[in-house]
Amino acid sequence: MRSKKTLLALGFFLILGVMSLVGSEVNASSPQLKITPELKEKFTLKPHHEKLSFKCVDCHEGQGDDPENFKAIDDKGCLSCHKTKQYLADRLKFMDNLHTNPHNSIHDGPKLYCDECHFEHKKSDNMCLSCHSNDVKLWMRPTP
Amino acid sequence: MSQEKMSRRDALKLGFVGAGAAMLSASQAMAAAPTEKDVKFDEEYDVIVIGSGFAGLAAAAKAAERGYKVLILEKMGRVGGNSVINGGAFAVPMNKDQKAFGIEDSKALFIKDALKAGLGINHVEMLELIADRAQEVFDFTVKCGAKYQTGKKPTHFGGHSVARTIVTENMSGSAIIQPMAAFVEKLPGCKLVTRAKMDDFVMSNDGTTVIGVTARINYRFDNKLYSDDIENKSGEKKVYRAKKGVILASGGFAMDKEYRKIQDPRMAPDMDATNHDGATAGALLKAFQIGALPVHISWIQEGPWASPDERGFGVAPLLTQQGLFVKGVCVDIRNGKRFMNEMADRKTRADAQYVILREDPKAYPVAIGTYNTFDEQIYAAIEKGLQGGVMKKFDTLDALAANYKIPAAALKETIAKYNEDAKNGVEDQFKKQTLKDMKGKECIEMKGPFYAIRTVPKPHHTMGGVKINTKAQVISANTNKPIAGLFAAGEVTGGTHGASRLGSCAIADCLVCGFVAGENI
Ligand SMILES: Cc1cc2nc3c(=O)[nH]c(=O)nc-3n(C[C@H](O)[C@H](O)[C@H](O)COP(=O)(O)OP(=O)(O)OC[C@H]3O[C@@H](n4cnc5c(N)ncnc54)[C@H](O)[C@@H]3O)c2cc1C
Repeated sequence: MRSKKTLLALGFFLILGVMSLVGSEVNASSPQLKITPELKEKFTLKPHHEKLSFKCVDCHEGQGDDPENFKAIDDKGCLSCHKTKQYLADRLKFMDNLHTNPHNSIHDGPKLYCDECHFEHKKSDNMCLSCHSNDVKLWMRPTP
Repeated sequence: MSQEKMSRRDALKLGFVGAGAAMLSASQAMAAAPTEKDVKFDEEYDVIVIGSGFAGLAAAAKAAERGYKVLILEKMGRVGGNSVINGGAFAVPMNKDQKAFGIEDSKALFIKDALKAGLGINHVEMLELIADRAQEVFDFTVKCGAKYQTGKKPTHFGGHSVARTIVTENMSGSAIIQPMAAFVEKLPGCKLVTRAKMDDFVMSNDGTTVIGVTARINYRFDNKLYSDDIENKSGEKKVYRAKKGVILASGGFAMDKEYRKIQDPRMAPDMDATNHDGATAGALLKAFQIGALPVHISWIQEGPWASPDERGFGVAPLLTQQGLFVKGVCVDIRNGKRFMNEMADRKTRADAQYVILREDPKAYPVAIGTYNTFDEQIYAAIEKGLQGGVMKKFDTLDALAANYKIPAAALKETIAKYNEDAKNGVEDQFKKQTLKDMKGKECIEMKGPFYAIRTVPKPHHTMGGVKINTKAQVISANTNKPIAGLFAAGEVTGGTHGASRLGSCAIADCLVCGFVAGENI
């Protein structure tokens, strides 16, 4: 998934103001799979990924070119950019004090599947809510 | 054609040979367990364990320590089922902290307490087993790395005549499950797979012996389905041989909307419960399908210490069981009076709450106490309860009474009488056992502030399950003898706790019987 990392790098450039890269070229490297407005609507991206102009095959690598047959990319897919679960847990280390770090909870440690809570093409969930309905809003923001 | 998309019709078209594996999915209506000749094994193990809670991990640890190649199948994405969200309260009769704090306990007393709560229908030989080996399994968890709040006066749980409960460091069963899972995964020959659902037992051709299971890997449990066991078609089929046998440790079914309603029609499908989403009856029913003897299935325990002001288990159960209930009171908001021994067994308390709630479903009884009523072990939960709003704090009893619309004068009278009885060493009207140590002291400190939680019973533990003997062998209803190759442990078994389990006895039960299964398979 090197291409995705390149895109991330590009993303930073975008933030730096190289705005001309956005837009029309999105489909260029995947001639088979045209990202139509309908497709975009059906498989919406999370804003942080959308901003980086991800194409379907950046994540659904080697899965052909029919989005209907794409499979979930699993932890390995997510972690190809997001490094490791321990890294993600450490980023929220400040929450460990109150035992509210969702990436290092007292129940599961840094071990849960990413898609226990995070979904790319639909609303994410928050697993903590099933027992901590009142507390989650005090502990963290809505799950990205 | 992917497996999940293959309909039964497609499978039939393919013919039985090609589609044999798919046809053995959980969706079969004409239930008969597959036999050896129906399947092709993908992998071979000595022992297969279904479930990764206390019972499953204990069984796997013992079996792997004996040199067996062990596969643990866990249908959920997370390890530990109910065990990993559990409150970390572990009854260990005759433990060291009891001795240090001068609390006298005995095996006989433990069994007497369990029988009283269980209405006498408990299988006593199982209680004996637990009492005999609780300390040993406790020590084993410590060896694995589990951390407890030892060196403190043990916690006194409802229905127990003495304090005998040790609490984990983080007030959760995860303090046991995490190190045990790590321990088990490090043992050579032991493998734990999550999102892997056992579908069927595979029987020997003569139908007498369990020789493996069919399962689906990459299974995604779906809590939006009414019955995940019946409707969920996700995952890819695998068939595993178990040369020594299968250990069923699939937990209870308090989240099974249909099955629990059939057992107790008062439990409506949308009723909140304390359990993890995966606590369903599917695996238990598969055991019945191959002849396992059912026992006490309709005894479903409700936790009388839960709150309507949060979902699931939450934090209220810690703050009431190890707090407000111990030295405080619980009152009927309509008249400000106590109506139960707040430290009785769970069934007695839930029944008393239901007398009120069936008359007025919104009249949730309120538990009331002051700071001194909280056990040291759960101090860390107090702030959480207040912040989340499930517990409220009031400077005066008048303010508290006004908030819950309790007649203030009656409430004050109730508390005055309660405090006076305890102080004078007079047994109160409900014979509350925890007031014995309060002679000469003030139970509810009248200077305040006062803490309060609204309570409601929630389905919590399923007492019933398959019948096992003291070797954790599952007994057949067809022969009254053990089913060859099938063992079980934990909440999926029945009989041990009778009509109602004493609080904090599940950990000991699950670990001990898991051990026994791993030792005997
Ligand atoms: C919120 C809560 C708090 C509790 N607090 C305490 C306490 O403080 N002290 C105490 O003693 N008891 C407590 N209990 C009770 C106790 O935790 C449970 O009885 C105990 O955890 C059951 O352990 P188990 O190993 O039998 O089942 P579980 O821990 O539930 O594990 C069974 C596992 O099997 C899996 N499974 C089911 N079917 C299949 C299948 N077909 N294929 C693959 N996997 C399957 C489930 O997903 C689950 O993970 C509590 C219970 C709850 C719910």
